[in-house]
Amino acid sequence: MSVHNSKVMAIGEAMSKVTDGARIMIGEFVGAGEPLCCIDWLLDRQVKDLTLITNTPGFAGGDFGKSELFGAGLVKELISTHVGTTPESSLAYLEDRMLVKQYFPMGTWAEKVRAGGHGLGGVLVPVGVGILDEEGLFPDLEEPKPKVSVNGQEFFIEEALTSDVSIIKGWRADELGNVEFRFTSRQNQRDIAMAGDFTIVEVNEIVPVGTIAPVDVGCPGPFVDAVVQGHSLEEQQDIYRKRWVKAGKLVPPAA
Amino acid sequence: MLEFNIQEMSAREIIARRAARELRDGEVVNLGLGIPTQTANYLPNGVNVIFHTENGAFGFGPKPDHDLADSDMTNAGCEPITMNPGASIMDLTTSLGAMRKGYIDVTILGGLEVDTQGNLANWAVKRNGKWWPGIGGAMDLCYGTQKVIAAINHTEKNGTPKIKERCTLPLTGSRCVKTIVTDKAVFDVVETGLILREHAPDLSVADIENMTDASFQVADDLCEMVLF
Repeated sequence: MSVHNSKVMAIGEAMSKVTDGARIMIGEFVGAGEPLCCIDWLLDRQVKDLTLITNTPGFAGGDFGKSELFGAGLVKELISTHVGTTPESSLAYLEDRMLVKQYFPMGTWAEKVRAGGHGLGGVLVPVGVGILDEEGLFPDLEEPKPKVSVNGQEFFIEEALTSDVSIIKGWRADELGNVEFRFTSRQNQRDIAMAGDFTIVEVNEIVPVGTIAPVDVGCPGPFVDAVVQGHSLEEQQDIYRKRWVKAGKLVPPAA
Repeated sequence: MLEFNIQEMSAREIIARRAARELRDGEVVNLGLGIPTQTANYLPNGVNVIFHTENGAFGFGPKPDHDLADSDMTNAGCEPITMNPGASIMDLTTSLGAMRKGYIDVTILGGLEVDTQGNLANWAVKRNGKWWPGIGGAMDLCYGTQKVIAAINHTEKNGTPKIKERCTLPLTGSRCVKTIVTDKAVFDVVETGLILREHAPDLSVADIENMTDASFQVADDLCEMVLF
């Protein structure tokens, strides 16, 4: 018998927090570690006018997971390091269907998210000073990028990023919302979880409390509001291997 | 000794083979996408390096066979990789922090333009009046890495030189490139500008001048490109 309130929810219940015009964060790295089932829900429900904060638009070549949000015209503004990893996001941007005010160097983007999740106002970043502040580079910015000098070096003042809803992807989670990640899909999923007013984790497997050793918890339960069942690990392996084969990034098994 | 014929080699292979010779045993190395990634195939004998991938690993290894490809073990291009003994995995902010702080010894990057000051441009071109496609981790690498090697085709497909007096596109890093490796030549970037160190066989200094949009000095010990 459970002695705690379970955070396990149906995808529909958890994702109903994402409404038209929401500001959302999604965990990933060029399509790896994406919450594919939650993304499918957004596509099914055609939730629109989203401000999407995410590392990259997604899988190189597109036609996969998050890239379809751009294809379906659901993203109003992208806050990211890149727009060009998927053709769908490139097209939405170049055809003026999606706003990208500026690109952030990846380390800057990640620190802005971390600042948001850790209760900071922002961070001071030296990368790109003298380059990204060049006049006219980002015409959609309302004001020039703010700078400050500390000990003789110039830094950008980069404001923290937070979200209405953060959606991350883990390997497995328990009912308390403790999440364990596999290998390189750790990324900055925990920081994204912390930066959300409401945070959903999609996992391959939901396990009893106590299954995940405390030291293996990559994102502690208090940062998570909803745990939803995604593809099983086996299904996920199959989905990625098929996409890699299609993209010529993996040699198919001998017939 | 095996005989190799540079004339029969693709530009990509020439660049990758030559760039690989810039790596030293024990270095922590980050390879950009495209040609730089290929340099891993041509490490000289006795040179063992630790490959870093910005999504969060030191010490990754080659692509696995199909059935061992793991959806949660990927490189910065979301391609399947393996982990060598001694590998380590970290979160994204640690990985990018390592790049800014200079824990990566050397990076080999592709480029759209590189110039006599060692400025590198590789993140943006103008399309429909907008800068595209984006920055990713390249600026963090250029900012923090001591040894930045630009591995580029000497010219665009239409013959336009990629080595300029000054870059015209938005920069990825300023004064960061130390060595330029192309399919035609190798240059060092020093305080006073470019120094031509090696040339492809059958190309004269004048030939290289004709395909380069920048002035350069010629090293006293100028030699043919060493690929093996």
